[in-house]
Amino acid sequence: MPSQPSSPHAPTASKFNMDLLVGWILLIGVLLSLTLLLCGALWHRLAVGTLTDDFHLGGTNLLEFVIAEAHSLVGGALRPRILISGGIAVLMITPYIRVLASMLYFLIEERNLKYTIFTLFVLSVLSYSLMLH
Amino acid sequence: MAGMGGGVVLIPVLTFFGLPIKEIIAISIVSVIATSSGAASAYVRDHITNLKVGMFLEMFTMSGAIIGAMITVATRQQYLYIVFGLVLLISWATMWFQSYQKWHPVTEQDGFSRWLELRGSYYDHAAGKTIEYSARRAYLGGPMMFCAGLVAGLLGIGAGALKVLVMDLVMGLPAKVSTTTSNLIIGVTGLAGASVYMAAGLIHPGLATPIIIGIVSGAFLGTRVLVRLQNRTIHMFFLFILALLAIEMLYKGIKGL
Repeated sequence: MPSQPSSPHAPTASKFNMDLLVGWILLIGVLLSLTLLLCGALWHRLAVGTLTDDFHLGGTNLLEFVIAEAHSLVGGALRPRILISGGIAVLMITPYIRVLASMLYFLIEERNLKYTIFTLFVLSVLSYSLMLH
Repeated sequence: MAGMGGGVVLIPVLTFFGLPIKEIIAISIVSVIATSSGAASAYVRDHITNLKVGMFLEMFTMSGAIIGAMITVATRQQYLYIVFGLVLLISWATMWFQSYQKWHPVTEQDGFSRWLELRGSYYDHAAGKTIEYSARRAYLGGPMMFCAGLVAGLLGIGAGALKVLVMDLVMGLPAKVSTTTSNLIIGVTGLAGASVYMAAGLIHPGLATPIIIGIVSGAFLGTRVLVRLQNRTIHMFFLFILALLAIEMLYKGIKGL
């Protein structure tokens, strides 16, 4: 059986393994989000008897949405809606964290100015879109 | 299962149950983040995804998605049905005429693609060897990815087929690299579009929850069913489904004009 040769993308002992970090960020984000959504939906099903909730967001952005739900949580209002909101927020924030990690990687580990600027551009536009009204 | 994202099937099916198309598009684009990020997490760890190709193209798809989503928010519902129907017909034609062309490595990389460092290699388990590759025509690939992002934001789909087509045919990347890098890009494209829908008040978390859980479970099961079915069976099944959904969407759009 042939041994797997290394590639420019494959990690080496001395090189920071960015692929692995990005993979774990995405996996943890999706799993955490699905767990929260599933727990919220089941809790709602047990409490109300339906899987869907008539829960609508009036025009808001992710930042305001997270702050509002965090306030409810701090106020002791743990209910299915908080878990569902948390699941949606974690899901939306996952690709954002992935881009942030990529930017830090290009800046600190690769010291690649070109790709640091590219990722900074993506991050800036995403940040703007997350604060839209 | 068929290489198509869930949105292409999910949106026409939910409109059949009478839900407003703009809300469905908004829910679909959130679920697209879940399916693409889930798939991308595995591919990235396998070192097939090319992060630099992904980061460069994301600048274009993300911008396209924001503009596409803004157009949807401001557009009449009937036009969305018609555009969706047309996109389904184009997907149908692409699947019908799909030819499995052999990949040929780019022998001479243009200056811009070289400057962008768009090259890499991965270990192909099926071939038992390392495949070295370079991308070409990044100056064309970028603007074309803006259009793919526009379609994704406009209709709440991943538009992965379009993205793969651009990376394969225009940029000369191997199919595995195109498919896996497309998955990585779709997450950011979806987030950009979802932010616009959230600001417009079209995200309905109560309804989105069972749909996201269902679509992620479906994608997981689909990959397991796939290995038991022949390519031709899958191909014919989805050609039939796509044609049916395209007719339904076009009928709804034209009827409402």
